[in-house]
Amino acid sequence: MKNGKKLLSLLLAGSMAVSLAACGSDDSASTYAPADTTPADTTTEVAATDTSAEEETTEAPAAAELDTSERVDLVFYVMGDAPADEQVVEDAINEKLLEKLNATVDFQFSTWTDFQQKYSLELTSGGADLIYVANWLNYGQLAASGAFVELDDILNTYTPELRDLVGEENLNMCSVNGSIYAVPNASPEYVSSGIKYREDLRKQFDLPVPDSIEHMEEYFLGIKENMPNQGILTSTTEESTGFQVAFDAAWCLGIKHPWVAANGLPYGLAAMYDTPNQVFDYWFSDEFVEDMNLMKKWADYGFWSKSALSDSNNSDSYKNGLCVAEPQGQNPAKYITSVSDFEKAGEGWESAYLAYGEVTGIIYPAHATQNATAVVRGCKNPERALAVVQYLMCDEEMNKLVQCGIEGTHYTINDEGFYEAVEDTKFGYEGFSTWNLRNDQYKLFTENDVLKNEIFDKLMKIGEKTKFLNTDIYSGFTENFDDYAAERTAVSNVMRQYLAPLQAGLVDDVDAAVAEFRDKVTAAGLEKVREGFTAQWEAYCDEYGYK
Amino acid sequence: MKIKKGPSTIIFNIIAYTLLALGAIVCVIPFLMILSGSFTDNHTILTQGYSLLPRDITVSAYKTIFKAPQDILHAYKMTIFYTGLGTFLGLMMITLTAYVISRKEFKYRNNISFLIYFTSIFGGGTIPWYLMYSSVLGLKGSTIAIWFPALMSPFLVILMRTFIVGSVPDAITESAKIDGAGHVTIFLRIVMPVLGPGLATIGLFLALGYWNDWYRSSMFSTDSSTWELQFYLYDLLNASTAIKQMSQNSGMATVELPTQSVKLAMAVVATGPVLAFYPFVQKYFVSGITVGAVKG
Repeated sequence: MKNGKKLLSLLLAGSMAVSLAACGSDDSASTYAPADTTPADTTTEVAATDTSAEEETTEAPAAAELDTSERVDLVFYVMGDAPADEQVVEDAINEKLLEKLNATVDFQFSTWTDFQQKYSLELTSGGADLIYVANWLNYGQLAASGAFVELDDILNTYTPELRDLVGEENLNMCSVNGSIYAVPNASPEYVSSGIKYREDLRKQFDLPVPDSIEHMEEYFLGIKENMPNQGILTSTTEESTGFQVAFDAAWCLGIKHPWVAANGLPYGLAAMYDTPNQVFDYWFSDEFVEDMNLMKKWADYGFWSKSALSDSNNSDSYKNGLCVAEPQGQNPAKYITSVSDFEKAGEGWESAYLAYGEVTGIIYPAHATQNATAVVRGCKNPERALAVVQYLMCDEEMNKLVQCGIEGTHYTINDEGFYEAVEDTKFGYEGFSTWNLRNDQYKLFTENDVLKNEIFDKLMKIGEKTKFLNTDIYSGFTENFDDYAAERTAVSNVMRQYLAPLQAGLVDDVDAAVAEFRDKVTAAGLEKVREGFTAQWEAYCDEYGYK
Repeated sequence: MKIKKGPSTIIFNIIAYTLLALGAIVCVIPFLMILSGSFTDNHTILTQGYSLLPRDITVSAYKTIFKAPQDILHAYKMTIFYTGLGTFLGLMMITLTAYVISRKEFKYRNNISFLIYFTSIFGGGTIPWYLMYSSVLGLKGSTIAIWFPALMSPFLVILMRTFIVGSVPDAITESAKIDGAGHVTIFLRIVMPVLGPGLATIGLFLALGYWNDWYRSSMFSTDSSTWELQFYLYDLLNASTAIKQMSQNSGMATVELPTQSVKLAMAVVATGPVLAFYPFVQKYFVSGITVGAVKG
């Protein structure tokens, strides 16, 4: 009995230690066993051509090499919620897929609840064959830990059409440790952050376009003087939860820095876009003090509420006229939404947009890993899976079907040739959330796309002049912070507690507040975090030749 | 006979009632805000904030929800199904297990109790749990995965065992045995009739657990037709937050998101039945817990 008690207490202590350890690292990627070591390139096996596929597939030379004698049912894991007509569209897709590739595909949806956790569980359990991947879903880390199948050989042997559609450059951006693990979409997209502002008020009071810090100030101040009761910015801390900024209004500063990412690198570091591997310090520079003085001045003008630090973010405030500009978290797509919102409201309001990059000259489309497709390690037929992806992306009819549903049932093409959803459609635009299968060649344009393309054309011209030609350097980088996770959390806390009031200008003495912030953040272990980050960042720049 | 209250008792009562009243107000006010917000015009909420009494009264939020009621009604139906089935089967299994491990003549009762208790301290964790149901048992997407995992919990089994031990003296079962009753008869005719409060307590625990659950739908549902009500509502909110964040990175067309007043109206719709049901079971709930505790 005594022994039993001893054993029990030992077990208890052990379990506590285990659970503590489990809490310490939330790196879901580390749970992957390198899985079965079956080689991905089964090229030799399939080389012997199968005769059963001959009648159907003579016109597609790539697929002819593929053994399609056995039917394959694939699961395609995508983000978001299922559309009401999931089954109807899937049936239509599968009818074609069966005919051409003797395969079916079943879309499964992550829903938006706990999707990060479910996404890693899905990979661990190997339930899916094809999966949506993106940098915001830790693509780089997952690929490095062996969650996906290497695609280099399959792309060259079986799906050259897909390879050519996407382009070598984009594929290289998706490579991790020298192998390609994902196929990006064929639709470059500019998500450059900028400022969205009320154009009608600007015209009414004859104010300058906010294309510099001085002009922003003039613009805000002009409206404040003419309309004392109008809110200027509804800045909060909610769009600024990362390691770059702590207060929304501080995004404005992006207009004066030609940095590699809009708000600089994390942990108060920065690097110029043209020399990304030369990291320098921002938080301890004189410029930082200058910038904080500016924020203090703006706060004193009353550009944002005194309770901004505790306010909760209201995404509809611009739409409802509670503020006249939004400098945080904007992109062309959001601007276009605001244009149509204002049109619907019918109060004569006008919206305009200025990407910070138009001033700084640093513009790039979203990184290739923003929207991509990967084959999960446990997939038994990676060749067929990729052939399905090729069919979904490269076939005009198929691409329209998977992205927009069935013409006539879910959407119509109006007289001007634009996509129009039918009323209460059961399959909306990109209803399967397959942003990774976008192909601009076959994309059905909506009326909003006209405006979007205008902006994209303009931004693309600027992007072509940058040193790395339309390349988003920062978003391809995945940080592994296991070694300094505790310090990192401490730095985050200091940012929320000391940097946020500083950037919101809600301090009495800027110099004293800056000094205090610097003390606290150093004490939190900033050095260690910066060292760890910089080493990884420089290695990344080296690997991809960004220097 | 009436006992005269001394001044200290009166003071104690005053303090106790004040504190309880304050506590009650703190609990009730947020709910009142939700209720009034759900009847307030959305634009008013945005511009003037929340208030205790509705301004610009409108039922448009409820109209929005019930414009296409089939989804929410279906989720209601599923939750009622899960709650009913889960509570019934759960009660049955918990009571039977508890009866067996409460019998003194069952030699291994302590070992089995220990095994049950053991799982409440040493759980496998989420990943093995998930792999078990999705890969090993292959229940992903099935409704079984939603009601099955919550049928029994070690805590409830132990609670029920304590309750049985406390309310059915050995002498009674022994005399029944002498009269020739088997275990089935003893259980059904002697033990069950005195288990009322215990069944109510544990039934309520189970039912509330099922009613409020969203996690298993989140994990195992592959089709929205199997969703529980709470998950349906929770996902609606999560979707709007996620879409907002997503549109920051990828240029996703922003769809119509539920407005503030619609969210509040949804909360009212989801909590309504529990609020109506709770007062009637509450008395068993309280007595059940104390009975188990004192005799422990």
